[in-house]
Amino acid sequence: MDEFPIIQQLGDDALLVTFARTISWDVGIRVRSTARRIRDTRLPSVTDVVPAYTTLAVYFDSRAMSFATVSSEVATLIGDADAASDDRSALIEIPVRYDGPDLAEVAEWTGLTQDELIEKHCSRTYRAYMTGFAPGFTYLGDLDEALVLPRRTSPRVRVPAGSVAIAGAQTAVYPLVTPGGWHLIGTTSMAMFDPARDPPARVRAGDSVRFVRVGG
Amino acid sequence: MSDVITVIAAPPFATIQDLGRVGFRDSGVPVSGLADRESGLLLNAILGNDPNAAMIEWAVGGGTLRFDCAAKIAFGGADAELGIGGMPVRHLMPISVVAGDELKIVRIVRGRFVLIAVRGGIDVPLVLGSRSTLLSAGIGGFQGRRLRAGDELRIGDSMVAPCDATEHTERTDRAHVNGSVMVMRGPQASLFDDAAWATFLDSEFVVSRASDRSGYRLEGATISHSGSAALPSEPACVGAIQIPDGGTPIVIMHDGPTVGGYPKIAVIRKSCLSRFAQMAPGDPVRFAVGSSDCDTT
Repeated sequence: MDEFPIIQQLGDDALLVTFARTISWDVGIRVRSTARRIRDTRLPSVTDVVPAYTTLAVYFDSRAMSFATVSSEVATLIGDADAASDDRSALIEIPVRYDGPDLAEVAEWTGLTQDELIEKHCSRTYRAYMTGFAPGFTYLGDLDEALVLPRRTSPRVRVPAGSVAIAGAQTAVYPLVTPGGWHLIGTTSMAMFDPARDPPARVRAGDSVRFVRVGG
Repeated sequence: MSDVITVIAAPPFATIQDLGRVGFRDSGVPVSGLADRESGLLLNAILGNDPNAAMIEWAVGGGTLRFDCAAKIAFGGADAELGIGGMPVRHLMPISVVAGDELKIVRIVRGRFVLIAVRGGIDVPLVLGSRSTLLSAGIGGFQGRRLRAGDELRIGDSMVAPCDATEHTERTDRAHVNGSVMVMRGPQASLFDDAAWATFLDSEFVVSRASDRSGYRLEGATISHSGSAALPSEPACVGAIQIPDGGTPIVIMHDGPTVGGYPKIAVIRKSCLSRFAQMAPGDPVRFAVGSSDCDTT
């Protein structure tokens, strides 16, 4: 079958490196190690390096540097997973008031009490797999298996900013008012997207996150 | 009076845009910026502006702007009827206005976005390095939102050269696509078999009403793919043609998500993107795999 990693064109001004077909934590570390090496190399004309679950994209200006040139540079930077450098990422503690509109329903579906559910959500250190969907929206995993549920059958048209949510094996905070199909279990007052900061996303791929229960 | 343009009547959708916001995709921030950047660059060249000077991207309806000072302006992009005091305004020509002049945007004849530029550019604060509006995050442009009646837009000083009064012959036919929109194969091109590719390349699609600066939906044929549609989400790009489960293509546009999980059959060539972006709901579109030249004959 395919020989990984593979490098493909993503339009005229970007390339996509695919490391695997299926999501795993080890693949994620390899994606982020490579993204870090590409960023550190500071190739001229490269504007963005974006790591995702099993892929990363490098965006460049094709008038300044051709796909062939960027691609051969990137190929030399694809290396092994460097778990040590991943561990240097930030640990962010997010304060959560567990007052989400779906909390009772989720407790019922999972067969847990609300306190048990909250305890399970707070007791782990999550890793950030990918940032996207909306500015500052970062997919965190993996949830305790007892909390894994399919998405809501009818997505909400307006999820309030700051909603802490779960779906599948993942958890996330909605940074902005957007539509959304995840189960809302709490709210945070921490700004997850702040255009006055650089980077504007509070949590990005590779970071570690803990949720801390606050009053109520 | 200060150097201000006052919005007297706004259309349903007008925003301030420049060439966009790069460097923040890893925070989930789309590039935004002028959908028809070719026309924007041409207008800034005509007015002697910095190429990245911000302007008004005006869509969907008519309206009126009032100039509260003398200024040089030009419009381009979509083919539209504009007038000052009943006199028609020509496409892609610098025009001098005096304090009190009102520019009426009567109607958009063909295309989607009328670009209205002023010498010096529109002066709004830089947010993450750009003046472009991103409505979903409420950032950039004029207070992070669409223009409304009463808004006062300050004129900036982003000029680098004198005005260029030479006739620009490309004129309105630049703004729409005749012939095919050129694409290159997308990362998941091989998930689509020969029959699916034939459907994609032989069909005439129509730009759906459900299209905005985030994405254009295309109606007409549906395209099926082999293999699982559940791809781990991966980075996307402007012009990527995604095929969701229903088989109805969605083209990611400038305010669209930075990542996506639908297979991308193809990506629109950069040279065709401005012209594609000018397609309005109901406009027909065909795709061809090909070189970087956007064929407009």
